[in-house]
Amino acid sequence: MSHSFLENLRRVSHVMCVAAAVVLTGCASHYVDGATREINASEYRKPATPKPVQVAFEFQTKGVANAQATKVLQPKVIEKVKASGLFSSVEEKPVQGGALLSVKLNNVPLTDDIFQKGFVTGLTFGLAGSQASDGYICTVSYLGEGQSSPIVKTARHAIHTTMGATAQPGNARKAASIEEAVFSMVSQIMSNALNDLSKDPAFAANNN
Amino acid sequence: MNKFAISFRRIAAVLFCTAAMGLVGCAQVKLAEPVASADNIQKAKAGGIGPVSVGEFKLAEGKDRSLDLKVSIRSNTFFSPYDSSLSKYLAESLKADLSAAGVLEPGASRSIRGELTQSTVDAPMGRGTASLAARFIVEDQGRKTYDKELSTKADWESSFVGAIAIPDAINQYVALYKKLVGELLDDPNFRKAVAR
Repeated sequence: MSHSFLENLRRVSHVMCVAAAVVLTGCASHYVDGATREINASEYRKPATPKPVQVAFEFQTKGVANAQATKVLQPKVIEKVKASGLFSSVEEKPVQGGALLSVKLNNVPLTDDIFQKGFVTGLTFGLAGSQASDGYICTVSYLGEGQSSPIVKTARHAIHTTMGATAQPGNARKAASIEEAVFSMVSQIMSNALNDLSKDPAFAANNN
Repeated sequence: MNKFAISFRRIAAVLFCTAAMGLVGCAQVKLAEPVASADNIQKAKAGGIGPVSVGEFKLAEGKDRSLDLKVSIRSNTFFSPYDSSLSKYLAESLKADLSAAGVLEPGASRSIRGELTQSTVDAPMGRGTASLAARFIVEDQGRKTYDKELSTKADWESSFVGAIAIPDAINQYVALYKKLVGELLDDPNFRKAVAR
């Protein structure tokens, strides 16, 4: 076992560790798109007589239900609906009057070959930076007492992820972590959809 | 120096194996507990379903026990949080939707039981496929009023990258439980058997 062999092995090992760290941890930064901003609940048009509502939430990945993500985000979504002031009470079980608010949040990739990009960034130790964007489409569907067809509103949002040496995406705010980015996105996209719902004459008519 | 070299080699080997395990997977993963689906809540409400209970769900007779125990996707094993039984997972999916629709009543005279007959998922490079089938039986005070096998399937573009293909495949597979419950709630004969 020569000294030079050991030295080489150590170097290879260091390189592998750094490469693995770059690939595994990603050296990624997350940015919440700036085009969709938070709308304060005070700006919603509050109904004259708010009624109770049952909320059903589903997170989807490319249009397919994602049970794991649904579980994680459900409390945030329910909290947001409660804070809206549009309903007298918000439940996960059936409510008097039978009103149902369905919230679907669909994650659609806006960038192709995300893995390939990240892999190249990892292999070049971040010198070849890359950016990937995830789009989110929030669809709220409200079926009030006595209504035969639901009121449907949609809002859109995006989270951008950069890896390695690449410029910050324009019109976006850097988040401290992926969790913070996702929770901000949920709050902002929900506020837009709920605001639109509150201003729909059919919603007002059903809550008078 | 030789001793150092051997230790270093061992550490390098352990590190390499750990990294390989982490990258390749071989994980045992519990499925997330089912949550009610808005589509199925609406179907149950629109279908005029009356109070109903959910009875025993088990593996159909003559089927291999492994069908109920797990599904495997590229060396990752997924199992049910309910006694490692996928037929019980189907029962819980049904309960979640019926409960959210306000029609699940444990003491109801009408009861739904079921038998899992098919559960597959495959995520090779190219097209992924998954299927789920079960026999549903409704009994009203011991009298059989509905007995039918229903099935559903999915196919999708499956990535060559495991980190993308595996989550996609498990999402597609788990979504079949809601789809199958939806098929049941849509069936006019089932609606008749459990009508208010």
